[in-house]
This record gives sequence, structure tokens and C-alpha cells, in this order.
Amino acid sequence: MKILIAISSKEYSGPTLDVGMNIARALNASTTILDVGEKINELSIKDINITNELMDTWNIDRPGVDVLEWAYHYLVKNSFIDNDSEEEVFKNKIVTENASNRTEVYLKGANIEKLSLILRNGDIVTELRDEVKAYEYGLTIIGGSSKRSLAHDFIQYIESSILIVNSFNLDKNYRILLAVDDSPGTANAVKYGVRVAQAFKIKVDLINISKDGHLREGYNNAIKKARKMLRRCSIDTEVLLKIGDPVDNIINTAGDDHIIIMGASTQSPLAKFFVGSKPLGVVEKSTCPVLIVK
Amino acid sequence: MLGFSTRTVSNVLFWVTRKKWLILAFLLSLSLFYFPSPDGLSYAGHRTLIIVLVTLILIISESIPFPAVAILILIMQVILGIASADEVASSFMSDAVFFIMGSLMLAVAIVSQGLDKRLALIVINLTGNKTWRIASGFLFISAILSSFIGEHTVGAMMLPVALALIRNTGLSAKKTTNLSTLLLFSIAYGCSIGSIGTPSGGGRNVIMIGYLTEFGMGTISYLDWMKYTYPLLLIEIPFASLILWYTFTPTQKIMDSSVRKLKVKVAKNGKLTSDQILAIIILFTTFLGWVFLSPFIGLGIVALSGVFLYLSFGLIDWQQINKNTNWAVILLFGAAISLGIQMKETGAALWVADQTLNYLQIVFKDIVIVRWFTSVVITGLLTNLLSNAATVAVLGPIVLDMGGNPITIGIMTSIASAFSYLTVVASPTCMIIHSTGLINSSDYLKAGWKIFVISIILLLLVSKFYWPMIS
Repeated sequence: MKILIAISSKEYSGPTLDVGMNIARALNASTTILDVGEKINELSIKDINITNELMDTWNIDRPGVDVLEWAYHYLVKNSFIDNDSEEEVFKNKIVTENASNRTEVYLKGANIEKLSLILRNGDIVTELRDEVKAYEYGLTIIGGSSKRSLAHDFIQYIESSILIVNSFNLDKNYRILLAVDDSPGTANAVKYGVRVAQAFKIKVDLINISKDGHLREGYNNAIKKARKMLRRCSIDTEVLLKIGDPVDNIINTAGDDHIIIMGASTQSPLAKFFVGSKPLGVVEKSTCPVLIVK
Repeated sequence: MLGFSTRTVSNVLFWVTRKKWLILAFLLSLSLFYFPSPDGLSYAGHRTLIIVLVTLILIISESIPFPAVAILILIMQVILGIASADEVASSFMSDAVFFIMGSLMLAVAIVSQGLDKRLALIVINLTGNKTWRIASGFLFISAILSSFIGEHTVGAMMLPVALALIRNTGLSAKKTTNLSTLLLFSIAYGCSIGSIGTPSGGGRNVIMIGYLTEFGMGTISYLDWMKYTYPLLLIEIPFASLILWYTFTPTQKIMDSSVRKLKVKVAKNGKLTSDQILAIIILFTTFLGWVFLSPFIGLGIVALSGVFLYLSFGLIDWQQINKNTNWAVILLFGAAISLGIQMKETGAALWVADQTLNYLQIVFKDIVIVRWFTSVVITGLLTNLLSNAATVAVLGPIVLDMGGNPITIGIMTSIASAFSYLTVVASPTCMIIHSTGLINSSDYLKAGWKIFVISIILLLLVSKFYWPMIS
């Protein structure tokens, strides 16, 4: 399992790293931290390459390296990785371009065999999509955005499961809100729910929403299966049955102290583009992390 | 859905949303194609303007790679029956394109010689340690150097010097915001101001000279060009320095320890190596070639001769030139110039020129002011949207068809295309300093609009009072 954590700036990426590294540690996954910089105009791209090569000879960091450097120090400070000589590490870095528009920063002597630091430049959706496609990540973790279209694009076009961290506070007591229905994505969502619950050592609320108060056979079976699996992993579980609009119910129940987990929508991409979907509605309205499992 | 898998639909949807400008350009060109040609515009001219419109949309939106835009321009010229394949091929390559190719390769060769550390020492020795002197020194040296060897070369070499100085202050990025903005803009604006100084200062000057020759409207030598533009360049420097200083006054008025650290670092490099001396000699020879030989053999051939010397003396290997030369730029400007020539030949340029004159005359009455407005203000604004060389390639044929003295109008347009102060995409150096992450897009407007206005006024004064004395 490979996990991709996309960060953008020093100010807002702390919570994304907190959630991402906790999950990565629990899954024992190899992790890539990716900084996507602004798109560079094609007319100037080589001029910037030349300038960057010159800056290497002056030992001046390329743009974006400072963000990765910050991320690395953040991980050390919050004990996600151990390193005794963190000050020294960035003096011995090697910057290599290992594909067009993809630069990797190697830290010599750093104790981080399962961590890669990558820089890319361009449109964030395209870059994330390309990265996920080329390096086959199972989960992409990214900070929230106020732009509706961006949330849609992440969910629609990135081919891995996706965790959108609207906000996260390490000191808060979170629970997991696992949305269960009869769709094929539910089984996978439950699996992720178990892993995340184990990673954070927290309890799970199973939520099941019926539009008219009547629960179909498939729903009942899904809940039964999920409960069984959670019990087997000895995770504390509570079942909530709600009536009404699924998105509103999920948002209201979640408040700001849940990590929401749900399966990806099975609607056609065109319907999702024009009408939207339940996961998209939840991502847009919620103030807590939302994991959409594909 | 219709037997397509969800993934296929999703891929198609992704393509459509990313390429919406390409699709729009296609639909627009299709509908304009069936639109009847307006009075006074030939069929061929009508179709040429469709290509111009498509090109503008695709360059500004950057929805497909620029080489693809270039190739599309060539294909459309043939398919729409504007010119035969051979005519398109011969208009695609010209001395101006040779020059753009040569100067991009020269930039790679010069930058890789390690002369930047040497340059740093010269700059620091000239300026001393007061911040205002360093900033205006950066602007002055960037302007003078870029007037001869092109802005991208100078921008690339000056940037590390500025960043090293800023880093040597040992202060956090927040405390040096104004200082870094000031120094980086001094480089970028200095390079833009300088690029008007000689024909070799920027590809667009050569494109304009190419159009003048191609259309049989006159020739202008390297030194004559300098007579027109150099005084303006020198006057602009103090104005730009003052504006930048008062817009981004830094808290650090003296950079004593920074400068000392830089000197220590540079001193480690020892004396000039024989390769570096040879590199400087070749550069100087190329410059002499531009001044004295270009009227006979062309600016492009001289630039390529310089590249030939660098390659054959082993000062640069081909792999490096190949890797760092922007082939996209060469293809795009080759295609844009070829389109410009078709605009002239099909009468499309004349038609647009007439329309512009007619409409603007309602506002300004006087035709001289209309010409001036188009070649200066419209060029200046378009340059900030489209990048400077593309602006000249597209607008050149139109302004040259507006009547008046083509030489002065041509030079005026080239100069205005250097007023690239307002946006990130305006010029390569604007993009280079933005890529450091130290400059916000909004910073460009802060000082940029003042320098933009001042530059227009200075150009007006110079062209009104000084140019009549020399022509």
C-alpha cells in the first residue's frame, strides 16, 4: 500500500500531515509527500530550469524545497519519524529530476526509507492524477479547499481512495463515522474504517440512513456484516439509524469531531459532474476529515 | 453508459474539462469559417484571421502544449488553403527564427560557464553595501547586459546573486519580504527595460526587423537601432529604480555582512579559467559580429556563429544545449512569424489596421494619435497578457500596415512590447523571479503600473522630440 500526501504551504498543511502520517504508520505504508507548485508558463520553463541549475551551484534551494524541508522537520518534531541529526540532513540533499516535471529530493543520512519527497509544478488536479496513475497509490490525502469544483475534481478524477482533510486537531477526541448502505463500495469502506480506527485507537459510529424510514434487506445485511467485522477486530461500535436526507444526516451527526468514511458513489461520471453525488455533498459541507473509499 | 466503462467516461470528462478552451477555439473557428467575409476582407484574409484568433486563445489559455499550437498554425494554413505546404515551410524559417534559436542556445552556453560568480563580484564592487545602491545597481547592470545578450540569460545569472544576498542576511523570509521583492523586481524590470536597447536584446526586436525587411519597408542597422532606443533605456533606469525603492522600501538599509559573506564565497572560485576567458572572447566577438556583420549576413547567422564557436571549442556539449534550449519557443515563433507574413500577404493585416484606425479615429480624431495609441498602449497591454515576443509577432504586421513611417512605428511597437511589468507571464524574467515563490502575482501591479505609465510617457517624449532629430 502506498500513500500520497499532497501539501501546498507551510501554513495550512499541518493537519493534513498529522492525519496522513498516523494512517501511514498504522498501515505500515510507504509514504510520498508531494508539493505541487504553481504552473510554469511554457515559454519560460527552460529559463527556469537553467536558473535552477545555477542555483544548485550556489547551494540555494530550488523553489518548493523549503516546503518539503518544513514538512520533514514537522514530521520529526511530531515524532512521526525518528531522526537525531535533523539539522544536518538538509545540508546533504540531492535533487534529481526523475521524470519530466517531477523532482525528487533525497536526504542523505536521513532515517526515512519509507518516505519520498517530491516536487511537481502545474495544475493541481492534473498533477495529482498523473502522480497517482504513474506510481499507483492506494490512498491520496489532501487538505480541504473552498472551491467546489476542486473537491469534485479530486473525487472524480483521482483514481485512488481519497481523504480530504478539511480540518484536524491532534488533541481532539475523534470518532469514526462510517456510512453504510447496500452499495458495493461499502465493504471496502468498512475495511478502511477498521484500519483507521486501529491507527487512531478510536471508536466507530456506524450510520445508516433511510429516506423514508423503511430499511431494505440489503441495508440490514450491510450493517450486520460491518458490525461483525468491527467486533472481530475488537473495535467499539455504535449503530445509528437515521431518517431523511443522507448528506444532511451525515453532516449533522459528524459535527466537527468525527472522521467520516464512505464508499465512492457508483453513479455515472456524467451524473456526478452535472448533479453531484453524496460523497461530494459531504465533502463540501463537512468541517471534518472525509475519506472516500474507491 | 452506451457500453463505455465508467473509467472511459471519466477520462473523456477529464479531457473535456481540461481542454475546454481548445474545444471552444475549435467551435468558434468552425462558426467563423461559415460566417460571410466582411467587406474589404478577402477569403484568404478571413481565414488567416480565424487562425490568429485560435492561436491567441490557445496561447493565453495554455490548454495544449505550445509546440502543438505551432504545428496547428502550420497545418491550418495549408488546410484552409491560405498557402501551399512549401510556402508555409519557407515562411516558417527565417533569420528572425535563426536568431531566436541562436540566442536561446547562446544563453545556455553562457550561463553554464560559471561566470555568474564573477558577475556577482563586479556588481558588488560597483555598488558597495548600501541597499539602495545594490538595488539600483542590479537594475542598471541587468538593463545594460540584457540589452546585448538577452533578458533570459541575464535574469538567470543575476537571480542567484540576489538570492544569495538575501539568504546571507540570515533573516527569515517574513522579515525580508520587501528586500527580496525589491531586489528581484530590480532584476526583472531591469532586464525588460534593457531588452529594447539593441536588436539582440530580445527576439521580438529581431522579429520586427524581419517584418520590415520581408515587407520591403526598410532596413535598420544594429547601431541605428541603438541610436533610437538607448537614450530611452538610460532615462528609464533612474525612474524605475526610484519607483521600486519607494514602493518596496526595505527595513534593511545596509547589507554589510551579506555583502562580505558573498565576497568570501565568490573569492573561493579563484581566477578566471582559460575556458572562461575564451567564453568571454567568443561572446564579445559575437557582439562585434552583430554590430558590424549583421547588415550583410543577418543577426540570426551571427548568433548561430557564436553557438558554433562555443560548440567547436568544447565550451558546452550538445546534450546540455539540447536539454536546456526551449524548442517550444522556436517552433511557436517560427509559426507565429509565418502567420504574420500570411496576415500581410492576404491583406488581413491591412483590414484589421483599417478597422482599428476607423474605430479609434471616432475617439481620438487625429490619425497620428491613433497610430501611437495602437502601437504603444495596445502593444503594452497585450504584452502583459500574451508575453512580449508573441505580441510583436501578431501585432507587427498590423501596426506596420497603419501608415506613417514604418521604421519608427516598428521600433515603437518593439519598445512597448518591453513594458512587461504587470503580470507573471509578461516576460521570461518576470516568470523566473515568480518561480522563486518569493513574489506574489499581485506584487507585479504594485510598482508595475507606475513604471508602465512612466515608460509610456517617456517613450512619447523621446519619440516626439528626440527621434525627429536623428531620422
